[in-house]
Amino acid sequence: MSDGSGVSGVSRRTAGAPAFEPYGVWTDLVGQDHISTDLVQAALGNGMTHAWLLTGPPGSGRSTAARAFAAALQCTTANEPGCGHCLGCRTVLDGVHPDVLQLATDQLSIGVADTRDLVRRSSMTPSSGRWQVLLIEDADRLTEAAGNVLLKAVEEPSSRTVWILCAPGRDDMLPTIRSRCRHLLLRTPPSTAVAEILVRRDGVDPIRAREAARAAQGHIGRAKRLATDDEARAKRSEVLALPSSLTDMGSALSAAQKLVDATISEAKRAAEERNVTETADLRLAMGYQEGSRKAVPGAAGALKDLETRQKKRATRMQRDALDLALVDLAAFYRDVLAVQLGAIGGAGGDVTEPIHDDQYAAVRKIAAAGTPEATLRRIEAVLECRKAVERSVAPLLAVEAMAVRLR
Amino acid sequence: MKFRVERDVLSEAVAWTARSLPSRPAAPVLAGLVFEAVESEGGEGDNGSVTLSGFDYEVSSRAQIGADVTEPGRILIHGKLLADIAKSLPNRPVEFSTEGSKVLVSCGSSRFTLQTLPVEDYPALPTMPTATGAVTASGLASAVSQVAIAAGRDDTIPMLTGIRVEIEGEKITLVATDRFRLAVRELQWKPEQQDMSATSLIPSKVLSDTAKALTGGDWVTLALSGGDAGEGLIGFQSGDGASSGAKGSRRMTSRLLSGEFVKYRSLFPSEYNITATVETAPFLEAAKRVSLVADRTSPIKLAFTQGEVTLEAGAGDEAQASEAMDAVLDGEDISVSFNPSFLLDGLQVIDTQYAQLSFTVASKPAVLMGRPALDAPPQEEFRYLMMPLRVPGQSAG
Ligand SMILES: [Zn+2]
Repeated sequence: MSDGSGVSGVSRRTAGAPAFEPYGVWTDLVGQDHISTDLVQAALGNGMTHAWLLTGPPGSGRSTAARAFAAALQCTTANEPGCGHCLGCRTVLDGVHPDVLQLATDQLSIGVADTRDLVRRSSMTPSSGRWQVLLIEDADRLTEAAGNVLLKAVEEPSSRTVWILCAPGRDDMLPTIRSRCRHLLLRTPPSTAVAEILVRRDGVDPIRAREAARAAQGHIGRAKRLATDDEARAKRSEVLALPSSLTDMGSALSAAQKLVDATISEAKRAAEERNVTETADLRLAMGYQEGSRKAVPGAAGALKDLETRQKKRATRMQRDALDLALVDLAAFYRDVLAVQLGAIGGAGGDVTEPIHDDQYAAVRKIAAAGTPEATLRRIEAVLECRKAVERSVAPLLAVEAMAVRLR
Repeated sequence: MKFRVERDVLSEAVAWTARSLPSRPAAPVLAGLVFEAVESEGGEGDNGSVTLSGFDYEVSSRAQIGADVTEPGRILIHGKLLADIAKSLPNRPVEFSTEGSKVLVSCGSSRFTLQTLPVEDYPALPTMPTATGAVTASGLASAVSQVAIAAGRDDTIPMLTGIRVEIEGEKITLVATDRFRLAVRELQWKPEQQDMSATSLIPSKVLSDTAKALTGGDWVTLALSGGDAGEGLIGFQSGDGASSGAKGSRRMTSRLLSGEFVKYRSLFPSEYNITATVETAPFLEAAKRVSLVADRTSPIKLAFTQGEVTLEAGAGDEAQASEAMDAVLDGEDISVSFNPSFLLDGLQVIDTQYAQLSFTVASKPAVLMGRPALDAPPQEEFRYLMMPLRVPGQSAG
């Protein structure tokens, strides 16, 4: 799924982009001023079209951009689409606006049944807003059959219907669908921009924010977690301790076990936090009152269904967490390579900055003990492990195979 | 907020509005009914009123009831939960009063404290378009039930899941089709403007539910805003506000379906060569029995000869069930096969003693109409067109 938050920590900046002063819903979109500018213009009627495809690496803010755009389309404040404070904007962000339908999935694929419902709704007139917005967060997970059901609706949209599809890359979408969409590409946000929002929005100390932003390699959600959650930081340190603990076969296997345990427990914790809010919301929606077991008919069934969904999601979140850990690990070896090649700490001064600032001592030690060729082979081993995990190979097996090759 | 209301008035209004709430709300506020209490405007017998409103994706509903309002306000209460509670209350006046984020509902010796939901996070509900005319509640309900049978169920062709409403002066025409059959019903109404002309496409399920839900009053006001110019909504109202007594008024709005409707008028033959008339109820019963024996998808064949019709189910010559009864045939003998459930659907909504089937040739669509008596002409206000099935081995026409 993650197609390359990559191992490059080099921040890119646009030259000569029109100045955009973020406001309202756009302030949560980090380092994507080019996207915000286009979407604001579209909401104002310049370059508006019926189908949009937003792509970008995981954590870059595709869904944030999609929701901001949906809010802008329902915003009731004149000349400031996406003001963030009108009832239109607020109810879109809360997911309760009658003219915005958001389909987010925890499952691996979006099937025909869900899509049929969307198609039906897309053929209706808006109830109060200007546009009827249909937002699919993980459009890359549409099955081929589902994509075909969707195709006609995207091809011949009703006059006031807008589709917003999000996917990691353009190639993840059926060609027939993507050719109907206006495509906007989000980039990996520069770590300075990520650090800025952590300071401004979450009140994180600037130094810690910078460290977290760089370590998260452009993944905004991950950066926030690293900056605000000590346990998440500790788990990351455990993961990054792996390269230094590999001496023989036995140590490699136990390091693998440790890495898997650390990521799984971290994923479980994250999942539980989400489950708690979700369950509380559902209880409220189904009419449960404090200290009472009374609720509306069907409440128990709804809770049970939610539990099933949460369990399925937990598995998925564990794989995602493992993938993030592997990206961290690859970045570690990228730092090692940079030291070996003299790009960091070399005679000619630093050409680049280490991604894992706090691991610099360990990085130098491993760099001194090996060759760039060996480091490249190790990076290769980590990337192969990512692929294996994505192919649903049992996590421990995949990581063990990797750890043995990393010695 | 504080008000007092009759138990029956409350429980009816809550039950009615809560019906349109989602059974699995995507967020807590969507489970809510907005209660808005306003004080008396000083009119005689007017102590104030309370408006209850809620919505699910396609439909919004709003009930206004007379109430004794001592403190105006606006709160959001879990609708289905309140509906449950309201019907269990003793038959005494019910009092609502808010205390912080809770609302206290008391009635006789019963007391319930409910958490309110954050009303400031509740989305804006669609506004009712301007009234365009009125139709009798029972007339609308029966007309809708007649055409709804022909609406499509395939969500991937949303246009066919709707009922088209055409307004031309004092006539409303309702049309639905799933491409295999088509139902058209005309009825009279009282438009606000004599020369008015409008069309819209309403989700069939919504229109059926709404027409049934509004049979409480004598008249239903329709409010239509065009899909292109206006909001693209249809509104329904029964009763005329708080002044019509404690029971008050009911309103619903529905989204419309967009898309070009089938050009249906040309599907009806301009003249018929053959008509066959049967007594509706016995014919329907016979058709049910015959099609029961055969499997659901095999055609039912109607063979009309002078004075008689034979109903047969099963393909070709190997009929699995057959039954004969009286029929009045005007024209040559004819045999036509239909999808049995389409035929049954049509017969079920004919409310006259006789039913007439009109044909040009066996391979062309047939039209079903009601006929009050053998010596009376068929009623053309409802016409149900069915495509005949082509049966292997049976010569067409
Ligand atoms: Zn706004």
